[in-house]
Amino acid sequence: MSAPLMEVGNLNKHFGGLHAVKNVSFSIARGEIVGILGPNGAGKTTLYNLLTGFIPPDAGARITFQGRDILGLAPHRIAGLGISRTFQLCRPFVGLSVLENVLVGALGAGGAQDRHGLDARARELLQRVGLAGKEKVPVEVLSYGDQRRLEIARALAARPALLLLDEPFAGLGSGEIDDLSRLIRQVHADEGLTVMLIEHKLREFMRLVGRVIALDFGEVIAEGTPEDIVRHPAVIEAYIGRDNALDAEPSHAA
Amino acid sequence: MFNKPVDLTGAAAFIAFMAVLPLIFPGNYLIGVLTVSVIYGIWAVSWDFMSGLTGRENFGHSLFIGVGAYTAGFLNTVLGINGWWSLPAAMVMAVLFALLMGLPTLRLKGPYFALAMLSGAVIMQRLMLIFWEQTGGEEGINGLTPLIQSQLGFYYFALGVLVATTALLMWLARSNWGLILRAIRGDEATCQAAGINVTYYKIASLMISAAFAGAGGAMYAHYQLQVSPQLFAVVTSITIITMVYVGGMATIYGPVGGAIMLVLLTELLRNFGEWRLMIYSCTLILILFFLPNGLIAPTWRRLRATLGAKE
Repeated sequence: MSAPLMEVGNLNKHFGGLHAVKNVSFSIARGEIVGILGPNGAGKTTLYNLLTGFIPPDAGARITFQGRDILGLAPHRIAGLGISRTFQLCRPFVGLSVLENVLVGALGAGGAQDRHGLDARARELLQRVGLAGKEKVPVEVLSYGDQRRLEIARALAARPALLLLDEPFAGLGSGEIDDLSRLIRQVHADEGLTVMLIEHKLREFMRLVGRVIALDFGEVIAEGTPEDIVRHPAVIEAYIGRDNALDAEPSHAA
Repeated sequence: MFNKPVDLTGAAAFIAFMAVLPLIFPGNYLIGVLTVSVIYGIWAVSWDFMSGLTGRENFGHSLFIGVGAYTAGFLNTVLGINGWWSLPAAMVMAVLFALLMGLPTLRLKGPYFALAMLSGAVIMQRLMLIFWEQTGGEEGINGLTPLIQSQLGFYYFALGVLVATTALLMWLARSNWGLILRAIRGDEATCQAAGINVTYYKIASLMISAAFAGAGGAMYAHYQLQVSPQLFAVVTSITIITMVYVGGMATIYGPVGGAIMLVLLTELLRNFGEWRLMIYSCTLILILFFLPNGLIAPTWRRLRATLGAKE
């Protein structure tokens, strides 16, 4: 067993009186696909913002990535170390073309800045996420599903070691979700990429991830395989107290 | 997108036109107007490089212009240093001021950067009056030596600086660097998530922008042979921003056309006496209302498409 890719300990965040993230500790092994599950307001996105340096955690936290302490580093430094993220609401670079969006993703990673090499890689990534032929299109006119693909291409362009996806399936139709799941599985397999995934769409999510960390009210309430998690009493209770968590899906899928 | 032969031909035609104009219509009046328009062109392209590309609008560009001009004034009159040293010195001083203003304000989001820059220019204008014993107060500093004796010679020098500045900034804007600046305009958070040090790029681009504004300020000082606190006036910054809007934001070359057009328009309207400001303002409002992307750059793009098709 190699050393974990990321270790998080005693992570807390207060927003005024709200304890948004409570004593969260977990570790991520290299090559895993980990799901973060939890109802709205459970603190999932806040957790991402803490991990990527967009929000500073309360004192006493510990976050290491590839054995390196990344607590307190600026977001661009953390990204530079190999953590790429997408946003819950797509945030492409408005005013740039699809290809340029991916190029910027590659530029931030440093290294070789030769435009031709970057260009070739960006085009290859667009091909991969199914956006070939749309390179010159202004990003504003892309459909929502295409914007999601673009976000992933942009994140992959930085050659991350860890990819954090925030609700990648939100707002997508079932066909698009299948395509995107296949893409995530494929980049995971091809590049040995470690993936963390926040999602509400339980069915797709459970098929994709190897391990689930369930959050509720900012706390880790359960951790385990998808099969264990759906039977876990605390998780069932968090999801509207039904006896079968999967039944809860329609209300979240809306 | 970038059609090299056509663009280079267009640039050559523009330079030739500007160079020949004072030969066809001789007279120091026209040379003077053209010189001022070319210096405004330098200010407009330098504004566009930072604010047009990153979308952080600088309402105090006159700060860098004034700093450059006063640097030239001091060195040339008080210290008696050769006027040619004014340009590099003005650039260095303007860059220092950009660093001073940019470090605390460019981390701020929203309109704070624009407001801080505006205040910076206003404060400098007041300081020039408060320290009147050193700065000459309202009168400013007089008695600068001209850089080039011949008016036409100085105009050609200014035109050369404008062309060089525009070429350099366009090259930068089309490089990976410029792409990052445009991405900052698109979304700062995504830039950070992509590993880009947004603050660094914003401050560095403000410094580059300030350097050329300062150089233009020094040239203006050596053209007027005097500097005054009016250089820091907010209206100068607003005029420059208008020129960029008319020319076409974030295109770099567009603002050159915007600047020359508006300076010439101001002069042409002199005959209209008190109606002048009203006609000027209405023209601007109509342009900005009907052509939100500006006049010069979109016109060139259309022209280029036709020319490119013929080739």
